[in-house]
Amino acid sequence: MKIKNIGVIISREYLTRVKKKSFLLTTFLVPVLFAAMCILPSVIMFFAKDSQKQVAVVDQSGIVLSYLEDNDEADYVDYSAEHPDSVKAHFDDLALDVLVVISPLDSLSRSVSVIAYSPKPLGVGLKEAIKSRTDDAVEEYRVAQYDIADLKQIMADIKSDVDMSTYTLDESGEEKITSSEVYMIISMILSMIIYMFIAMFTGMVMQSVIEEKSSRVVEVLVSSVKATELMFGKIIGVACVALTQFFLWIMLTAVLVGGFSAFVGFDSLMGDPASAGQMMEMAGASIGGVDAAEMMEIADDDSELGAVLSTLRDIKWGQMILAFVIYFALGYLLYASLFAAIGSAVENEADTNQLQMPVTIPLLIAFFISLYAFNAPDSPIVFWGSMIPFTSPIVMLSRIPFGVPMWELVLSVALLAFTFVACAWVSAKIYKIGILMYGKKTTFKDLWKWLKQK
Amino acid sequence: MGLIQCKDVCKSFGEKVALENVSVDIPEGKIFGLLGPNGAGKTTLIRIINRITIPNSGEVFFDGRPITQEDVEKIGYLPEERGLYRKMTVGDQAMYFAQLKGMSSKDAVNELKKWFVRFGIESWWNKKVEELSKGMAQKVQFITTVVHRPSLLILDEPFSGFDPVNAQLIREEILRLKEEGATIILSTHNMESVEELCDNIALINRSHVVITGGVDEIRHKYGNDNAELIYTSEQTLQPVEGLFRVLSDKDDAGRHTSVLALESGVCGNDVLAAVIAQGMTVNSFKELIPRMNDIFIKLVTEEE
Repeated sequence: MKIKNIGVIISREYLTRVKKKSFLLTTFLVPVLFAAMCILPSVIMFFAKDSQKQVAVVDQSGIVLSYLEDNDEADYVDYSAEHPDSVKAHFDDLALDVLVVISPLDSLSRSVSVIAYSPKPLGVGLKEAIKSRTDDAVEEYRVAQYDIADLKQIMADIKSDVDMSTYTLDESGEEKITSSEVYMIISMILSMIIYMFIAMFTGMVMQSVIEEKSSRVVEVLVSSVKATELMFGKIIGVACVALTQFFLWIMLTAVLVGGFSAFVGFDSLMGDPASAGQMMEMAGASIGGVDAAEMMEIADDDSELGAVLSTLRDIKWGQMILAFVIYFALGYLLYASLFAAIGSAVENEADTNQLQMPVTIPLLIAFFISLYAFNAPDSPIVFWGSMIPFTSPIVMLSRIPFGVPMWELVLSVALLAFTFVACAWVSAKIYKIGILMYGKKTTFKDLWKWLKQK
Repeated sequence: MGLIQCKDVCKSFGEKVALENVSVDIPEGKIFGLLGPNGAGKTTLIRIINRITIPNSGEVFFDGRPITQEDVEKIGYLPEERGLYRKMTVGDQAMYFAQLKGMSSKDAVNELKKWFVRFGIESWWNKKVEELSKGMAQKVQFITTVVHRPSLLILDEPFSGFDPVNAQLIREEILRLKEEGATIILSTHNMESVEELCDNIALINRSHVVITGGVDEIRHKYGNDNAELIYTSEQTLQPVEGLFRVLSDKDDAGRHTSVLALESGVCGNDVLAAVIAQGMTVNSFKELIPRMNDIFIKLVTEEE
């Protein structure tokens, strides 16, 4: 193979794609989306509150009303004296948003039923609040029915709310507070991205092979360079496009999130979980005077937030990006060479369906196993999935955030690399013959024949 | 010794035999016609010379030594099925093909500009191929085939898709390239251009070479000693035993055009003497050489 030829091919494959409008568009829009995904939750925290609702309550049981306490969500007004129908009739005049009718106590079931009327569908939050308050009222009523002295105290005494924290032990025996949810989310995002990247860019390779074949450019090309040079030049050229896009995404997302953080003051928060609360307050204050205390409420309690931040801080981002690049590169090479062979065997994309099935199925299986991985990162199916070369790029990456022993990584990469070499050899043989075959629709039997041909 | 020599080249695809013991010798600096009916194996032979396909057995020599991958830089190939990247600009595309043939980008730009000027298509440089008509794209493709000054040019049906004016332009370019020393393999079904352009030919039918040699030599070989005689007379020419028979005679107000079948070994002088002796005034007398077209049809149908 001549390096110079491959170089010329790589640069064409790379430049024609990078100069495309669609490439520029996705490269710059996706980071905006990523950044929005990172930033939005915190923005939503500030702005996603519903206005207070006027709730008319017709309490025919007489036990529930006192449990319905006014809050930000709802202002409960007692209309128990009225008939529900007359309230309904004057809904607008009374400036009401919701009418809640609580039935009389049923003596048999010792319960009530609740019906809510509103012109607009009732929000889930308010519905849950009313239901749970009513439940409380009914439970309290039933407890009182037993007529046991000091029962209330006893119940309060029994009630339990265990605090649970998870720590990981590293090799030096140091304990670290962690949040498994964070690992799950990162694992999920990683496997989605690598699956997307492999599927997207290997598809691009196949498409481009088909284009060259159907436009008959390929015959001129192979009269200048070897078919294998053409195939690998194309595969590497597209890989460079993928890596360019990946790094631009990371950089642009970092710049956007960083820029937003600098503006709002979140960056110091990320760096120091201990003072998270304080920083929150500062952040809150800096965003148009929204009450910081309110935000603390929404952000749940301090320790859980601390765990998330500590987990985020402890993840080895560099190692993860490195793993992504290695597994993407090898997984991409493996699948791209197979897709190139399939592309060479057909004349238009419509004919690829049958031939590409054996290649797309392992890719899909890999994706489904990886979805299982963030529930059970150490289960046998996930372990084997991360070792078998056709699924390992995606499955292993979904395991990475949870920590993977070195020997497993080395073994899995070695197996993957070896399989790539074998598949590339097979694919090159098929490709060489396929690109010059026109007319008859290719079957698996044909592919097998081509493989045996000298 | 020829620039390209194929020795006993065999190629089969599975059961199907494409070439069987094909040997051709393509002389340097000449135009070599590669003829044959569709599916005879011409494209396979061209691909083997191009090293696109590797033969099962036999050898191809380039300039006296076995051909290598390095030699393909000295070959320019215009396939029958033309193809360019539709979405790429004409200039980028031409540069790409030139660089794949080993040209530096500087040389490529210079040479391409010259060709674009010669063909009067400078303004196309930044156009996309999809904006060009078929004939225009053919011109671009011809340039990409010859820009790296190949010592061997393989042209498969180079005139198809061109109007007569542009076909003439291409014909002149082919002859000019020959002047400059290029060896040209011309594969075509157009027998007129074979007679006009080719020095030598090989006719391939059913996977093997039926005949190969100089065009004139072959035409004479398949000549059947017919002659055309134009004479003026009131009478009609009578055959002469031992000299000639009259195959046809067309009388146009005393001016006759007739085809004579000469007996083998007969000298033209004796025939003319016999004609004059019959009292005819001879206007023209010439040997009739068969057209390549007739030889092609004869050889191909004879085999079947």
